[in-house]
Amino acid sequence: MTSLHYGSPQIAIGVTFAVLAVLLALAFGVIAVQAGSEVAAQRVHDVGYWLRKRWLALLLVIGVLVVGISLFDLPFASGGADGRTVVKAVGGQFFWSLVPDRVPAGTKVRFDVTSIDVIHGFGLYDPHGHLIGSVQALPGYTNELDLTLGEAGVYRIRCLELCGVGHSTMQNTFTVAAR
Amino acid sequence: MMTTVAAPASTVLHPNAAAFTVEAHPIERRIGLLFAATGVALIAAMGVLGLIMRLAQATVISLSPAWFYRILTLHGAGMIVACLLAGMGALWYVLHATVSLRPGWMLATYALTLAGVLAVLVATLVGGFGAAYTFLPPLPFYPAGQWPVWSESLFFVGYLLVGAGFCVYCVDVLERTTSTYGGLVRTLGWHYLRGREETAPPPQVIAALVVVINGLVTCVVGSTLLVGLLGRTYASSVRIDVQVAINLDYFFMHELANLTIYLGAAVIYVLVPRYAGRPYETTKPFVAGWMASLVFILTAYSHHLYMDFVQPAWADVFSEIASYGALLPVAVITIYSMTMLIWGSRYQWTLASTLLYIGFAGWAIGGTGAVIDSIIPFNFRFHNTTWVVAHFHTYLILCVVVWVLAFLAHLLERDAGRTSSRAARGWTVALILVGGYGLTGTWFVEGMLGIPRRYAIQPPGTSTYSLVGASFALLLALGFLVLFLQLAALARTAWIRRHSALVEHMDGWTGMHYTALASRGDDAGPSPVESRPLARRGVPLAGPAQLGFAASVCVIALAAFFPQVVHASEAGIRYTHLDNAGIFFFGAMLGLLLGSLPAISRALGDHPSIGLATVIAVPTLMMLAMVPSIYEHYERHPLVYTYYLLHNAVLGLLTGLGATRLGAVAGRVMFVLSVGMPVMFAAAMK
Repeated sequence: MTSLHYGSPQIAIGVTFAVLAVLLALAFGVIAVQAGSEVAAQRVHDVGYWLRKRWLALLLVIGVLVVGISLFDLPFASGGADGRTVVKAVGGQFFWSLVPDRVPAGTKVRFDVTSIDVIHGFGLYDPHGHLIGSVQALPGYTNELDLTLGEAGVYRIRCLELCGVGHSTMQNTFTVAAR
Repeated sequence: MMTTVAAPASTVLHPNAAAFTVEAHPIERRIGLLFAATGVALIAAMGVLGLIMRLAQATVISLSPAWFYRILTLHGAGMIVACLLAGMGALWYVLHATVSLRPGWMLATYALTLAGVLAVLVATLVGGFGAAYTFLPPLPFYPAGQWPVWSESLFFVGYLLVGAGFCVYCVDVLERTTSTYGGLVRTLGWHYLRGREETAPPPQVIAALVVVINGLVTCVVGSTLLVGLLGRTYASSVRIDVQVAINLDYFFMHELANLTIYLGAAVIYVLVPRYAGRPYETTKPFVAGWMASLVFILTAYSHHLYMDFVQPAWADVFSEIASYGALLPVAVITIYSMTMLIWGSRYQWTLASTLLYIGFAGWAIGGTGAVIDSIIPFNFRFHNTTWVVAHFHTYLILCVVVWVLAFLAHLLERDAGRTSSRAARGWTVALILVGGYGLTGTWFVEGMLGIPRRYAIQPPGTSTYSLVGASFALLLALGFLVLFLQLAALARTAWIRRHSALVEHMDGWTGMHYTALASRGDDAGPSPVESRPLARRGVPLAGPAQLGFAASVCVIALAAFFPQVVHASEAGIRYTHLDNAGIFFFGAMLGLLLGSLPAISRALGDHPSIGLATVIAVPTLMMLAMVPSIYEHYERHPLVYTYYLLHNAVLGLLTGLGATRLGAVAGRVMFVLSVGMPVMFAAAMK
């Protein structure tokens, strides 16, 4: 039984990538077949440049849309911690310390994440093993991660940044209790 | 009776390619072979290490975490350097026909790079250093009992040597291309783009210039960070700002890895036309695309730092735009125009041309995975999972490594006058594609599952993914083995062909004619290709106006010596360093001014090698002199401290004088970058 499960956003992104990769592979397959034929260079030039302008326009439109939409879903914490339960998360070789380590379900949490030694990665997995977000833990700096933990259960924190020989064992749990 | 007959005409290139393909000069072949063969040998060795790690993650073999991270560090560093080395050799090969690059400098690059590799090898395998090839400061100073101080120092020195080697290469290409094509702006095709000139330099020259400009900035940023870390190794009083250090670190490593692709991109503009039978011409969109790449390559790196929320949000958004922007020239100019070149061309499918072609797909597919990861909300779910490993292995294995092998195959096929059999090529491609995309595809799926990267021990229940990945890796290794066998057979044919000639005999008894191989005498190869005469190299500051401006700047920079300024700067380490950087700047500007004066320039003579060694070594010494444990003793003795300040100015003076020996363009560029090093160094301290 695996300890991790595919999250819905990850599946959506992964499938989108897979479709794009297959389309690209098909395009390269078609071009490889056509490479053996003989078409006048001028004809390739005329059609190719006509198509290229549309290709550039399409990529620009996709870029503006994707980058634009992404701006509405930035994970950076903003504003003060009013109304949020602040959890101090401190990473060290090779442990996570969380104070408090338990909140009621539905709590709006602000994780104040830092490190006492090297850079660590604070990766939060929900009780089903879905990676629901991450933030870096830097010595001398505090990164604020805002999340609403609606589902009760035991959440797991794994280190997502190489921090030394015990990197893959650096984890802790965080409990969200049912109301 | 004997008559020497001509060797059979080469069948490996497109019949139309003869119109625009020059025969390789012997030095081009030798340099190309040396760099490509060394690169491929390193890639093979590092690939075996990669397979060992994947098998360990699959729990097929036992490997302690300590050894896992040593191997991980060596694998990453070795692969990047191997691709860099081979890419430099390939670009040199295609550039040398029109730009008279210096073989001596290329050999210096080779020696420095290999010395760097040796240092990294010892630091990891003997010293136990295991902080990954990105070294993630301050991790080197927290070894958790795994490595001694000397091994982290040796690792940093190894990287500095690789950086110095790359720097030598970049300065040579910068200086020679700009001398040949009339200055920086003209060589970048800017005049052509603006309609002021009818023609532009060849595509490989423009691309090479963009690569080396970015390469020099990368070397400078990397050296600054590495010297700072080297100082910190032995002096704990050195306090490096983690945020600045990680920015410099990711800039350095992202650029280095990224530039291996762009080195390859510059090469394909020459190689692919030889199989398509259509020349690749510089166009205005091409110039505009590479101008955009010049900026986007430099600015995209900070997508590695999205999850450091203390970074300004605008920097992250800018990086997201730059990361997407970097895609446009690749998708619309390079890959697209190459497919236009190939379409309906009766493309000559050989081992080399097939590998070149599949490299485009690897770049496009791997790049798509990278762009997805560079979208901030997506990165929030994929940051530091194996998705990252997946996308960069897709474009490194299935594009860069494949192109390196294509280049080696191109050299050998041209020499052998043949390619390998259709069946062998078919098996090679099938194994590489199935094994390669299977390996990276498994990582993509693991990334969707949220498996963190760089885990010596996989999360419970997920080792099956590693087993599937390792199985595909074995297929990939088999594909490369089949490929190496073909390369070996081609090398043998090439050797025989170069050292023997077909000789026609007549049997004295029967009168029958037959041909046989006979030893060829001393083969000097084709006569050297006449390169365009170099324009006068010149000095960075020409004419009274520029000299006058420099003199004014020197007067202003004297402020760094004012007792009030020096005293005020002692309020904090960062200010002290900024003042020292100002003093170095004064010295460097004075050196540039003096070395540009006609009389002094003549007296100094034409010594570009000494100039280059000076601008690489002296700013490095300057930064070492800025380590607090070195100068803090002097601060108590006014006279000694004055000497220290003057010493910094002298180091600047030497740097400035050295820059003047590099010519107008390279001299100015190296002056600016050299002065930038102590300034960046100061910014990183706290």
